[in-house]
This record gives sequence, C-alpha cells and structure tokens, in this order.
Amino acid sequence: MKEIVVTFRLNGKETTVSVPPALTLLKLLRERLGLTGAKPGCERGECGACTVHLDGAPVNSCLVLAAQVDGREVVTVEGLERGGELHPLQEAFIEESAIQCGYCTPGMVMAAKGLLDRTLDPSPEEIRRAVSGNICRCTGYTKIFAAVRSAAEKMRGGA
Amino acid sequence: MSEFTYIGKKVPRIDAREKVTGKTRYSTDLYPAGMLWGKVKWSDRAHARIVRLDVSRARELPGVAAVLTHEDVPGHNGFGIITPNWPVLCVDRVRYRGDALALVAAEDEETAERAVSLIEVEYDPLPVIDTPEQALAPGAVAIHENGNVMHTMELFKGDVERALAASELVLERTYATQFMEHAYIETEGGLAVHDPETGVITIWCGDQYAFRDQLQVARSLDWDPLKIRVIGSPTGGAFGGKDEISVQIHLALLAVRTGRPVRLHWTREESIRVGPKRHAMTTTFRIGAGRDGTLRAIDVKVVANTGAYDTIAAPVLNLALESSPGPYRYGDSHFLGVAVYTNNAMGGEFRGFGAPQVVFGVEQELDRLAEELGMDPIDLRLLNAVELGDVSALGHELRTSVGIKETLEAARENDLWRRREAIKAELDAAFPHRRHGVGVASEWHAVGLGVGIPDFSNIVLEFDSEGRITMRTGAIEIGQGNLTAYAQMLAEALEYPIDRIEVIHGDTFETPDSGTVTASRSILINGNAILDAVARLKPVLLELGAEVLGVPAADLVYGGGRVSVAADPGRSVDIPALAARAEAAERPLKITGAAIMAVADKDYGEGLPHNYYTYITQMALVGVDTGTGEVSLIRAISVPEMGRAINVHGVEGQCEGGLVMGQGYTLYEEVVVREGRFLNTGFTTYILPTSLDVPEQETIIVEKPEKTGPFGAKGVGEAGTVPITPAIANAIHDAVGVRLTELPITPERVLAAMRERL
Repeated sequence: MKEIVVTFRLNGKETTVSVPPALTLLKLLRERLGLTGAKPGCERGECGACTVHLDGAPVNSCLVLAAQVDGREVVTVEGLERGGELHPLQEAFIEESAIQCGYCTPGMVMAAKGLLDRTLDPSPEEIRRAVSGNICRCTGYTKIFAAVRSAAEKMRGGA
Repeated sequence: MSEFTYIGKKVPRIDAREKVTGKTRYSTDLYPAGMLWGKVKWSDRAHARIVRLDVSRARELPGVAAVLTHEDVPGHNGFGIITPNWPVLCVDRVRYRGDALALVAAEDEETAERAVSLIEVEYDPLPVIDTPEQALAPGAVAIHENGNVMHTMELFKGDVERALAASELVLERTYATQFMEHAYIETEGGLAVHDPETGVITIWCGDQYAFRDQLQVARSLDWDPLKIRVIGSPTGGAFGGKDEISVQIHLALLAVRTGRPVRLHWTREESIRVGPKRHAMTTTFRIGAGRDGTLRAIDVKVVANTGAYDTIAAPVLNLALESSPGPYRYGDSHFLGVAVYTNNAMGGEFRGFGAPQVVFGVEQELDRLAEELGMDPIDLRLLNAVELGDVSALGHELRTSVGIKETLEAARENDLWRRREAIKAELDAAFPHRRHGVGVASEWHAVGLGVGIPDFSNIVLEFDSEGRITMRTGAIEIGQGNLTAYAQMLAEALEYPIDRIEVIHGDTFETPDSGTVTASRSILINGNAILDAVARLKPVLLELGAEVLGVPAADLVYGGGRVSVAADPGRSVDIPALAARAEAAERPLKITGAAIMAVADKDYGEGLPHNYYTYITQMALVGVDTGTGEVSLIRAISVPEMGRAINVHGVEGQCEGGLVMGQGYTLYEEVVVREGRFLNTGFTTYILPTSLDVPEQETIIVEKPEKTGPFGAKGVGEAGTVPITPAIANAIHDAVGVRLTELPITPERVLAAMRERL
C-alpha cells in the first residue's frame, strides 16, 4: 500500500515520517519513534492510557491516524520536562503519590494538563471531568484529584 | 514524635519519577529491531472435541515465520499454579473460549492476524456447561476425567446443628456473586528472545512471580530452568491476575522456533476472555445467635464456579471458607466448599482471594441480626469481635495482633457515623429524588500463603565503595509501592540515607527468589528478610571496623551508618570506607537475608488456616434514586489495622484503590458469559468506576504493631477491596429498606427489590 509522508511538530521538534494510511498515531509514536509513554490499554478509545496533546488539546492517540497529524503539533508525556525540570503536574503526581502501577499515569497527566492549560482554578467537578476518559484501576482517583488540585495551586502561585 | 526516620512517613515512591515521565519500560514497551509479532488462535467453541486442526494455509502466508500447535510443545502441555492442567495448546478438546489452539509469529501484526484467520478448525460440539447446577446435575457431561467437582473442602468445630437448634434466633440466606475482571490497564504481554549460543531464553513479561514463571516455562519447553531468564517487573497492574501464566510459555515457544525476538500482547478482548477472573460463587449462611446478640453458630456452604481448569481455584475456595465467618467469635461452626468445573470464564486469583464473595453475605446477615434485635450494627460487631488469644470460628488461636475492635471504635467516632441521621436528612432534602443511607461492614483478611505452603523470602544486599547499597529482591512491583517500602525498611534498620539505596527487582538472573507478590504478604515477608540481612550484616561491619580501626570488634558499636569505638565515639569509620576495605581485601560486602512466614497453631490442610490477618472496617454513604434504582456512592471511609503503616501514602493508596475496585464489583462490573460466550469484552460494556463515579474518601489508619512483623507491619494489599461491598449493600438497606443478595447491584435489581417490597 502507498505510504503517506507526514510532517509534524513532535515535542517541539519538526518530524517527518512515511506511514501506511491505517497506522494510528499511537502506533507511530510507540513502534516507529520509540516514544512509549503513551500506552495501548484498549486501542479503541475506552481507557485514555494513550492520551497525548494534538494542537494543544488531549486526544486518544489510538483513535487518530498518523496521517491526520500532518502540519500539526503533537506533545507526549516525554515532551513535558523542560531542561531537566518536571512539569508541576508531574511534580504533584509524585508528591501526592498519585501513581501506583503507573501504566495510566502518562495519559492521566496529559489529560489533566489539558485542563490546567485552560484554567488554573479548576473546580473539583472540572477536575473529575477532565480525567473522566482516563481509567485508573489502582488508585481510586483520590490522590489524582489531589495532585491536579495541588499542581493548579502551585501554578497559580506564579511559578 | 515518631521514633522513626522513614517508617510511617509519606516517603515518595522510588519509581515515581520514571513513571510520571513515561520513561519506565514495561514489558509491553519493547520493540527491538527484527522483532516478530505473535498471535494466538483461540477456541471458537466453549466445549467441543477438535476433529481437525489445519494450519497449512497459515504457514504458507508470506511473512509468516512460524505456526505452532500442540505437536510443537516439547515438555508438559499444561500450566497451572497448583495443578498444571490448563493446556499450553489444546490437543483434542476445548473447554472454554479462551483455550489456545495454535500460535503464529509473523513480520507484522496484520500478517499475524491474517494467518490466525487462515487456521481451520473442525469441532465436534459437546454440551456447554454454563452453571455449577448444570455441572452437578446427574448425567452431565464430564469436563475433565475426574468429573465436574474440582475441589471440596470441609471444616467444622463442635456440632453446628445442635448449636443452631439451641439458638434463640437463626438467620438463613443465600448470596450470589459474579465473575469479575481485573482490568489492569496493561493487558498481558511481553517479549522473548532466545540466544542459541548460550541456550538462554529471556522473557520480559509483567507478572507477580518470575521464579514460578521460570519453572512453568521450563516444564513446558523441557528446558533447563537456569537457562530461562524471566524479567517480571515492573507490571502495569496485576491484582492477582498475573500470578498465573499468560503469554510466557507461548512467547518462549515462538522465540525458540524462530530464533528472533517475538512480541505477544493480548488485546483488551483477549485479556477479558482468556485470563482468570474472580470466581462467581453462591454462598448460603445459617447463623445462630442469642437474644443478647451473641453469635452462637455459623454454617456456611459455598459453591464456586471455577471454569475450565484448576489454576489456583482450590486455595481461593479455601480462603473463602476461612474468610466467611468474619472476625467474630462463634460457638460451633461448619464450613463446606465445592468448586465446580464449567465452560464459563476461568475462575482464578483476584485481590481478595475468595473473601469478597462471602463477606458480601455474612456482613449483611450481621446487619439483619442487628435490625432484628434492635441493636446498633457497630455495637453488635463489637460485642462479638475477636481478640488476641481467642479461638477463631475455625478453631485456631489468634496469636498475632488483632485490631478489629479498634477499627470499629474509630469508625463509630467518625463524623459519618456519629452524624449519619443528620447527614442523611440534609441529603434527602437536597436531593428529593433520592433516599440516602449509611452502612458499615468489617473483614479479617489473611496475610501469607497459609500453613503447609512454602512461604519464604530472600533478600541480597551489596555495598560499593561509594556507599551505595544495592538491594536485590525477587519481588515484583505491581504498583502497590512495595519497593519503596523495602527501601524505607532497609534505610530505617541500617540508619542509612534512603537515596543511597537502589532496588533491583523481579528478575530470575539478577535477584534471589523472594516468593510471589500475592496474599498481602510482600511487606511482612520481605521486610523480615531485610531485617535478617541487616542483623547478619552488623557483625560483619564490626569485624571490618576492627580491621580498619585496629580495635577489637567487641569494643565497637554500629550506629548511623558508622562503626565507632564504644568508649571513644570520635573514632569511627563509615559504611563506604568499610565497603572499600572489604573490596580491597577481595571480600566484597554482600549479605543475604532470609525469612520464613510464621504459621498458625493448627493445620487444616491446603493452606488453612493463617497466622496473620489485616482487620478492616469500611463505611459507605449512598444515595438511591427511587425512580431509577441507581445507587451513588457519595462518601466512603476505610479503617484498616495492618499492624504498622510503613508508608502512609502506600496504605492510603491500597485502601482508596481497593475500595473503588470494590465499588465496581458491587455496583457495575460483571463478566457476562452465556453458554460459554463472552458478551462484554471492552470497557463500553464492561463498566468500570471512573473519576465521575468515585466517592469522597478518607482512610483512618489504626496501628497495632505485631511483634513478629517488620517494624510491627503485617500487610494491607487486599483488605481494602472487601467489606465495602456489604457496606454499600447495608447502606442501600438503610436508605430504601431492601436487601440485595446478588451482585452487581444494578438499578434493575434495586428497582425490582423495591417493587417486591411494596
């Protein structure tokens, strides 16, 4: 089958790849570009473990075709660190112990970042909604809510 | 002020940074160059003879590197933690729709899938046994040569019939529970490579016990176990579901045959269909009591739907019996359990291990009794709660810390219980379409594998001249944070900075055998092995100190990471210098510690009973929509007694996550199998609790240090998922006056029960 050439910004870097038309963004990231932070928990948009940002908004990368990202911007969990500094959400997930097995964590962080990119003063209801497409089977979500709240507070404080 | 530096603190997880940055490499994150994609041909029938299995068209497909059938299994064609009768690849019969028939390895995933679709199987159908009742019916087709009864267990103390006859009150009721899916976010998967030069097969596969996987792979491949390296850690969630073999043997077979790295990663559908589930069970209780609320007698009968093969079903059923009376005193008792083969889902190991199924019933029976007697439910439980030194309902003496009363008392003091009438009234007024209720329930949960089952750990400590300590443990990090707890315990025992400790885990070539990460055992047993290693280390450090300082070891003391002269503390040498000395003398500092689980004073066989228990009380505040029957869990409290909390965040995390898993079990989750067909194999039809469903949670930790546990700790991995189910059911009764005896408690069932009552 004819491959499609796709050029996009990936974690800030211009990237060009040639992909089969049916390849998903998730598979492109994991199998061809070595970025395994986004996880395949169901590969049909039911668990959120593959969440990345496309043009600044969280998407299930298992439901996006690689060919669709041409000319667009993709950020994965690997793109959050800045000069060795973790994103405040990552710091908060560590401090609040919002991580157990960790397999949902990258997707969870990216979903929460989608919220904090829009508002730094989210209500408890907004936090719950922001991660409602991301299943965590380990934590019961309590500490995830606390981490998002705590990161928002820190970011509001003008860090 | 705490006497400890690290114990009981919210020490951040040592693996957190790697996990939150996406750098952790799980076994399903490996895609080496030259890798082949594996796929499995699963049975299309729930019960049938295999008349013909033809893989020739699949073998001919371009891009296919190998297609294997039962003829390609060189060793024992079966696996299973206890009785290995689960076929690696079926020979002449299939017994459920998760049976494997053939394996494919191909250049890419699509080709592997296409090859599987080209495999032809001709079946001669057999009657599908859908329920234990059908399995036990006269003339039923036998699923195995030994019939349809897989396992029977009976225990008794005294004469239960006489005690029931003499009881002023006797309650009797039957409760039914469903198959439940683990739903770890990382489905079963991994990678295998065979090195023909060394003969070593390396298998990366997130599991719960790499050394048992090594044994099971060796048995099926007829291979030297010492040439099988299993790297089982970390795991993207396990909850008991990854203690058994999944892809490991299939991977090894394909890797050896093709000489290439092979990947297998089950889809979500495969994970739900193939892997073990929480057993569906039906439990009948008869409980006798006096008018004063004293429990006199308990008679329990459990029938477990165990599916097609054994895996670990017998111990699960046994623990269901042990858990069924709850942490209470009774006079006489009788327990009977039967596990029955069917062609449904596989019953197996799942966090709680038989307890959730029975605690759902017994804790509702206690509520019924309290209601009958006009007693407060917590008072009734306190009146009958066991204490240290009591003889249990099973007949063994409780010789380790017993904190059930303290958990009940703490629950009673909690705002949710004290103000429950006011809280309910406020919510009833605010949400007039709902009725609100508060429920409570308790549990004792066995820690360890039980009498007669090898239950041990080994830990290795190595020191380098920079002062770094490498701790090697066979334990798997399945998410619970055990590695962090081990580092805390070592740092505390050795009075040494935790950031100088590195933990290597779960690798049959790089770590010792520390036993399986199940049965809430890993903190207790590995903690004791760590303390043993430190106890063995200290004299060695003093000897080295004697060489360095030129002072007899008898005049030296160890403290704060240094060996010092007792009479002149200014003269001292630190661990890095001692390690350097040892290295220079070509006696590198390396210590092995070991521990064996202490067992109960009685032996009822097959792992019964246990010597340690976690005690826990949980409370639930629910709203029941009187129009739709929908139940909302609004607030929930866990009060665990686990001896000592090594990591407060860890204990809270186990309780919070366990509770939500229990919420799913109670209200939403069921693996629906009809005539052997799996009807809900994805998360749009298998409903898990999401962030929108979960309650406000609080965990109140009760400490009652156990003297034979490390720093007083027992374990806490499972208990948090158990009593929330009857707590919710009791809260529903409090709200709308109906008792639900079948899980999950769907809106339809609530409405039906409410209508029946009208």
